[in-house]
Amino acid sequence: MLRQLGEFDRTFSMLDELRRRMDRMWEDWDADEPGFSTQLSSAQAWPRVNVFDTGSNLVLKADVPGVNEKDLHISINQGALSISGERKHDAPQGYAVHRLERGAVNFSRAFSLPIPVDADKTTATIKDGVLTITLAKAPEAQPRKIGVQTR
Amino acid sequence: MDNGPKMTKYDERSPERVKQRFTVAPRVDVYENANELLLVADMPGATKESVSIQLDKGQVTIEASRAEDMTGPSLVSEYRPTDYARVFSIPQGIDASKIDAQLSGGVLRLRLPKSDALKPRRIEVRSS
Repeated sequence: MLRQLGEFDRTFSMLDELRRRMDRMWEDWDADEPGFSTQLSSAQAWPRVNVFDTGSNLVLKADVPGVNEKDLHISINQGALSISGERKHDAPQGYAVHRLERGAVNFSRAFSLPIPVDADKTTATIKDGVLTITLAKAPEAQPRKIGVQTR
Repeated sequence: MDNGPKMTKYDERSPERVKQRFTVAPRVDVYENANELLLVADMPGATKESVSIQLDKGQVTIEASRAEDMTGPSLVSEYRPTDYARVFSIPQGIDASKIDAQLSGGVLRLRLPKSDALKPRRIEVRSS
């Protein structure tokens, strides 16, 4: 019995170690943001995105600080969502430069959508440098409630 | 038998974490001209209310908190929203009362005007 408890304990230690490694991975990921590592280069994986399923919509969020809405192009074509655009260099005139970490970026990313969406009901907004694209699921992909009948 | 004490101490070894917040240093550009220092920082997701800027003992601290914006089960997760914090040492002669901060589109612009003593001055040459 005691030996079994020991196994149990070890399993949890392993899970704990896994969690620590995952956390570390996140921290490394945050520290080493791809796309901005080199100045003035086109970025492959910028902006990074999060996608959520809210039931009737898919919501895509991406950090796009300093990108104007008119420099951003979003299209849906045959189940693929593409986002492209550029962030212009916004250095002020007549200033000496001490530090440059925020490069100008040309970006283009495409995502294949897991389910059909209604392109007409798709909306995109930028607020506080965060892009939110709300993709309405097509009627056939909407969650449906099945009523249970008693007999 | 050996595992007995280990079992009891397990909780102490790994206390449960309720919520761990991550903080990153925002990326900044720093510019200077004759009149001011200009600091530009990328802080996506930061709002006017969430940003705090403090000047103390020759250091300016920029901080912003950011809410988790999960709205449902996650399908793709490439980043997690983080808080921002960064400290800069600033030279003497910054006029603290005239510091101005502006936030638009997730980009913070902090203007630190130089006091008059630091500004370049033209010295007239007199003939005698």
